[in-house]
Amino acid sequence: MHLIEVENLTKRFGGLTAVDNVSFHVDEGEIVGLIGPNGAGKTTLFSLISGFLKPDSGTVKFKGESITGLEPHEIVNKGISRTFQVVRPFHHLPAIANVMVSCLSPRMKKKLEWLKSPERKALDMLESVGLTEMALEPAENLSHGDLKRLEIARALALEPDLLLLDEPFSGMNPIETDYLTKSIVRMHLDGHTMIIVEHKLQALMKLVRRVIVLHYGEKIAEGSPKEIAANKKVIEVYMGRVT
Amino acid sequence: MALIEDILVYGAITGAVYALLALGFTLIYGVAEILNMSHGVLYMLGAYMFVAFSAKFFQLGLLWSSVLAVVFVGFVGIAIYALIHQVIEETLAVLVVTLGATLVVQQLIRMPWAFGGSHVAVLSLLEGNITFLGATILYEQILAFVLSISLFVGVWIFITRSKIGGAMRAVAQDREAAMLMGINTERLYIITMFISAALAGIAGLLIARPVIHPRTWETPLVMSFAIVVLGGLGSIRGSFVGAFIVGYAEIAVVFLIPSGEYLRGAVALAVMVVVLIFRPAGLFGKRMEIEE
Amino acid sequence: MVASYFRRAYSSFVTHILDVPARLLAFLFSILLLVIPLANPGLYIMFVLVLAAIFAIFAASWDILAGRTGQLSLGHALFFGIGGYTSAILYKYYMLPLWVTIPIGMLIAFLVAFFVGFPCLRVKGPYLSLVTLAFPLILISIFFMFKDVTGGEMGIYAPSILPIPPYTPYELRLAEFYVSMLLLIVSSIIIYKIASSKTGILFVSILDDELAAKASGINTTKYKLLAFAISALFASLAGGFYVHFLRTAGPSALVLTMSFFPVIMTILGGIGTIYGPLVGAYILTILDQYFLKTVVPIPDELHAAIYTAIVIVLVIAWPRGVGRWCVDKLEDMQEVREEEIEKKIKRKN
Repeated sequence: MHLIEVENLTKRFGGLTAVDNVSFHVDEGEIVGLIGPNGAGKTTLFSLISGFLKPDSGTVKFKGESITGLEPHEIVNKGISRTFQVVRPFHHLPAIANVMVSCLSPRMKKKLEWLKSPERKALDMLESVGLTEMALEPAENLSHGDLKRLEIARALALEPDLLLLDEPFSGMNPIETDYLTKSIVRMHLDGHTMIIVEHKLQALMKLVRRVIVLHYGEKIAEGSPKEIAANKKVIEVYMGRVT
Repeated sequence: MALIEDILVYGAITGAVYALLALGFTLIYGVAEILNMSHGVLYMLGAYMFVAFSAKFFQLGLLWSSVLAVVFVGFVGIAIYALIHQVIEETLAVLVVTLGATLVVQQLIRMPWAFGGSHVAVLSLLEGNITFLGATILYEQILAFVLSISLFVGVWIFITRSKIGGAMRAVAQDREAAMLMGINTERLYIITMFISAALAGIAGLLIARPVIHPRTWETPLVMSFAIVVLGGLGSIRGSFVGAFIVGYAEIAVVFLIPSGEYLRGAVALAVMVVVLIFRPAGLFGKRMEIEE
Repeated sequence: MVASYFRRAYSSFVTHILDVPARLLAFLFSILLLVIPLANPGLYIMFVLVLAAIFAIFAASWDILAGRTGQLSLGHALFFGIGGYTSAILYKYYMLPLWVTIPIGMLIAFLVAFFVGFPCLRVKGPYLSLVTLAFPLILISIFFMFKDVTGGEMGIYAPSILPIPPYTPYELRLAEFYVSMLLLIVSSIIIYKIASSKTGILFVSILDDELAAKASGINTTKYKLLAFAISALFASLAGGFYVHFLRTAGPSALVLTMSFFPVIMTILGGIGTIYGPLVGAYILTILDQYFLKTVVPIPDELHAAIYTAIVIVLVIAWPRGVGRWCVDKLEDMQEVREEEIEKKIKRKN
């Protein structure tokens, strides 16, 4: 059984078809990349899977169960968590509280029960992304790079079965990119299944085993990074804009 | 049945004037993102200043009194904007300022040297009436209807054809882009505020009769707010449609239900709540599915 | 044994209250208020202080909703009025004592909150403000349709908390004063506990970014409704006490202006803080009822206009709240003091 199965997913906004009859699946333990030029529908696809948008047609099955049309928080509690393209921290709360929100979800309340307090779990997550000193700083005081790490900490704090990363490398300098690459590798080794949307293809292709390419909402190619790099259609679509 | 004709005719008149009132409210919100809680009091001021110029302090003709009243209200609007300008970044402070301005104007009107606290009679703009489709309509009401529709169309043309109107639409869509294009947003806000206040003042001038009192602002404020929200904040089409929906609903209730007077405001609000449940951004508002 | 207990209590007192400027102020203010009656200030001043306490609870209840979850209600008078009218109506028909009727009013307000909060879930910003604004006005219309029960324009009588006779007006006022202070202190402590609890964190997450909160697995609907309900509890408490203090439950408890009071008071004091609504309520009530009547006598007619003009000036000068400005200044001063002390220590070494 695939971990997640997307079948014939379609989403229209007025006259524009953002996601057009997309189907794919991801198995447990895989890292899959999702690429395509701007406006190809990648983020829309993430929003459809995570429940923030409801599809016009098609289904999403997670661990054999249909999750199409469920509320975002219900889907999160079933084991799918995501990060956002533009970071969305809780400005008034300190970093640790930001992560604690995830620890206070019904999913984590059940998982943590007698093992750890939410505060402890939050601190552990901050440690794993290297943000321990910033624990008590209000989120509004953190740098962009810190906030991106915080995003990931919050998503990981939910101990997801599937992690959706939306442009995690955007806005990062080479040092941060290197650090994040290593973190993702570590997460993969820990057994996390991930789908990553990214424009920085160089960084992405090193991490993933399989790539799905979207263009104007349609899936135009799927395969290993090598196959995709050689795919004529893909090259055309990007017109040499491979970074 | 005279009842249906009554409802049809009076509903249309009410709807037309409400459209003008709502237009002002939605304009200043669309362009400057200001939720002007003093809109009701500007409506009331239009009527009061008409009384001031035509009877209370001067005896100018009806036409002059009307024009001066509207201009006066326009400038009061600008004065209120000057206060809002100080705190424009903090939406909540703006709220307090507009609420405060409402209360200040209300109290100033209450002054014995102004108008006092009791009801004040307003002169008719036109005497006489005709019977149309079985309903008795005052000439005044026809004037109100014609003027409201003309002005609404006039403002609509202004916004869609003129340069300033284009600037207003640009700012309403994307403030930063408009500023980058060199549009002087400050001046635009002042112009919009003047127009918005003037529209409120005209509406008050047209239908706030035969008597007014210092709390006459409450219902128009709630109405403007309700209509604009129902139609969709910032949508001119929405204000028009919303105004007639609310106008007709109100008139229908007043005519059909015995103790209907009390329910007037409540009906408009109930309609609005129901619409919002199905269209959370109003009839013509942007449907916000997610905010990414 | 006893001595060490007092020592611990004292050091806990020092760290938790004395060292935190905001709390120190709150503590001093409470002490001041509690001992004022000893100075025999007179019936009128006590009247003003009780009213201020009632509005402080009302404003604080609004802050839970608006300052903590970002739902800017412009119709909070609904719960205030429900608390008041329920108590008065239950007295009118069943002669129940107010310590029974007020909690019943609170319970009803609590249930109504779910009903009102529901349509508010789908709407945001000004749309939410308008939906909330509608409810008390709709309630007034309904009340006017049932004039025999609700007294229409005139309202209904609500008895004072102590009967006169056998108590004197002064004794009554004193009792009202201490009860209002008790209610205020207990309410503030409860609200503070909620705000700093895990639920409080979730409230703020909804305020900051509801979408992100959902993405963290939080059922934001549940918490938004909860905020409404808790807020309604305290608002109706204030409303219940209000009608017994003023001896009538009338439509003035539900009008637009009554909904505006907690908004203005909280914003003036500093939204999203514990002290903000309290500071705002006290400043505005004392300004309106006492300052502008006695200290600087203003002719009655000009009174409200001047009062509102002052409010406008205050909010322009301190757009983020007077209370917040004071606390920020105090914390800055404390930081400077601490830096000086550090420098002195370094120099010594």
